[in-house]
Amino acid sequence: MRSGRILFSLIVIAVAGYAVHTASGWTFKAKLFPLTVAIPLIALAVVQIVVDLFAKAETERGPAVELDFAADVPFAVARGRVIGIFLWILGFIVLVYLLGFPVAVPLFILSYLSFQSGVGWLTSVALTAAAWIFFYGLFQRLLHLRFEDGLIQTFLGL
Amino acid sequence: MFDALIDGLFLVLQWKAFSLMMVGMALGFMVGLLPGIGGAATLALMLPFIFKMAPVEAFAFLLGMHAVAATTGDITSVLFGVPGEGLSAALVVDGHPMAKRGEAGRALGAALTSSLVGALIGAVTLALAIPVVRPLVLTFGSPELFMLSVLGISCITSLSGLGARGQIRGFAMGLLGLLLSTIGQERQSGMLRFDMGLMYLWDGLDLVPVLVGIFAIPEIVDLAVRGTAIAGERKKENLQAGVIDGVKDTFRHFWLVFRCSAIGVWVGIMPGAGGGVAQWMSYAHAVQSAKDAKDREGFGKGDIRGVLGPGAANNSKEGGELIPTVAFGVPGSGAMAILLGAFMIMGLVPGPDMLTKHLTVTYSMVWTLVIANIIAVLLCLTILNQLAKVTHVRGALIIPFVLFLVFVGSYTSNGQIFDLIVTFLFGLLGYLMVLLGWPRPPLVLGFVLGKLIETYLFISVSRYGFAWLSHPVVVILIILTAIVIAYPFIQERRARSRRSGDA
Repeated sequence: MRSGRILFSLIVIAVAGYAVHTASGWTFKAKLFPLTVAIPLIALAVVQIVVDLFAKAETERGPAVELDFAADVPFAVARGRVIGIFLWILGFIVLVYLLGFPVAVPLFILSYLSFQSGVGWLTSVALTAAAWIFFYGLFQRLLHLRFEDGLIQTFLGL
Repeated sequence: MFDALIDGLFLVLQWKAFSLMMVGMALGFMVGLLPGIGGAATLALMLPFIFKMAPVEAFAFLLGMHAVAATTGDITSVLFGVPGEGLSAALVVDGHPMAKRGEAGRALGAALTSSLVGALIGAVTLALAIPVVRPLVLTFGSPELFMLSVLGISCITSLSGLGARGQIRGFAMGLLGLLLSTIGQERQSGMLRFDMGLMYLWDGLDLVPVLVGIFAIPEIVDLAVRGTAIAGERKKENLQAGVIDGVKDTFRHFWLVFRCSAIGVWVGIMPGAGGGVAQWMSYAHAVQSAKDAKDREGFGKGDIRGVLGPGAANNSKEGGELIPTVAFGVPGSGAMAILLGAFMIMGLVPGPDMLTKHLTVTYSMVWTLVIANIIAVLLCLTILNQLAKVTHVRGALIIPFVLFLVFVGSYTSNGQIFDLIVTFLFGLLGYLMVLLGWPRPPLVLGFVLGKLIETYLFISVSRYGFAWLSHPVVVILIILTAIVIAYPFIQERRARSRRSGDA
């Protein structure tokens, strides 16, 4: 936790440092606000690192006004599930990029329900069909939202 | 004036206007439930349909839709931890933990009832304020608005961490939010900042992908990790009893609901501040109303006051936003700017005419807000039983549907694949922040307010030099900001001296 927090502070310093470095070449108007914000941000992140390194461990439960993650799942299992869900999300984005929303949505829902949720094929197909009708009916027919074609359709000229 | 008020009511109750209001409400209900697609976007989509309507019918249709979208946005925030609208994000913080605890009915009952109370207060304020609001708004120039924004950020940062160390992280995240808001074209000089050579970033990061990513993705990850339903393995609550508890909570903390509604109205009146600010400021106020640090500990873990405050402000701001829109033609938010378009389509000019010649139309708007909110809340309370059952459905079944809605919602903001990438990146950031104990609310508020703060600061400095710092309202706001920052330290000190006194 402590090393993770230090790493996070270092990332914040890197981001703010990049901002200061980039902004320093701009006109006064353009750089005033970013510099006003980024310099104190670096200072606070450094203070946080010093506190994390040298002060006693915190006794508080964590930040107020925040959610608590599940604590009753073994670490290794939790880590596997976190990586898994982020991979699913990335997969969905790649699907949308390649095939566009109208195709990616049913494909993703069907795959997730079948392979990850462990739902039978028939139920998966029924739920996917319901989701697609909802998607098509509301977003495309009623709200007339425009969804770009995927890379594959564009490439094939479909 | 009284005659106009009554005439306004009868105009809304005419079958055609009333039917159109119901159609608008049905649309707003669905849109409000969808993550990321805000009332403003729907208003814009529906604008072309009002050309053939009379003014009263058009405003009944549009305002009915807008008012309901704000109310039903609360439902997804509580049930899934996914902000139904960008504006409902503050409700996630305490509403969703309650749902996880098996108290979804109570949280929704409280959110909806406080929304109704807020909406009514907003509408009454609109009705009363129209003749007297002008001098009030004119007292707030750029310096005052700048300090008001700084006060808002200070409120949420000072409350976001337990103890001094937590505050360091809170303020750091507030600054990071402000820094993120500087991405894109600078308004005064037109210079591109931090655009990384991507045209997508020229307009800056869009609010919806950022908000939805930072709040929704960590909840989805948590649901996947737990492998249970949202409400865990808990038995189903007695929902009706829960809902009634939530309704009772609203009246038990009525004074808080009233104050937060007033905050919503006030922020709504201020041009440009917007509903997200109103929600976070009232959330901060609710937290700050806690008696001591111990009383405050429950916030973020499912404290009913954290639901009531944002719930009330969310709808009271509608009335507030309409005041400058109708009275001066100065829209209080993006949605009101679109509504201003409706005025033009109808051939109405906001300003003195709306308070004299078209006063009946103006009051019909007040009645639309009142009637639409009452119907929406009663309808929601009736079907809550069915809605809250979702929290007991296995998480693995819900995740793909929530993900699909989250990403479609994000995509609608710009219609680009980058919207999805930004959602993913901010989801990852949000997850790491929760995991490592860095608070998200200050970052979000900093991001929401950043562009405004920069503009107000620039105008203040260009117009007044440093003399703006001595404006009376600015001085009051500076003192208030200092108190807000010092308050947690004073509370902690008091608690320590009390403990040492007891020993």
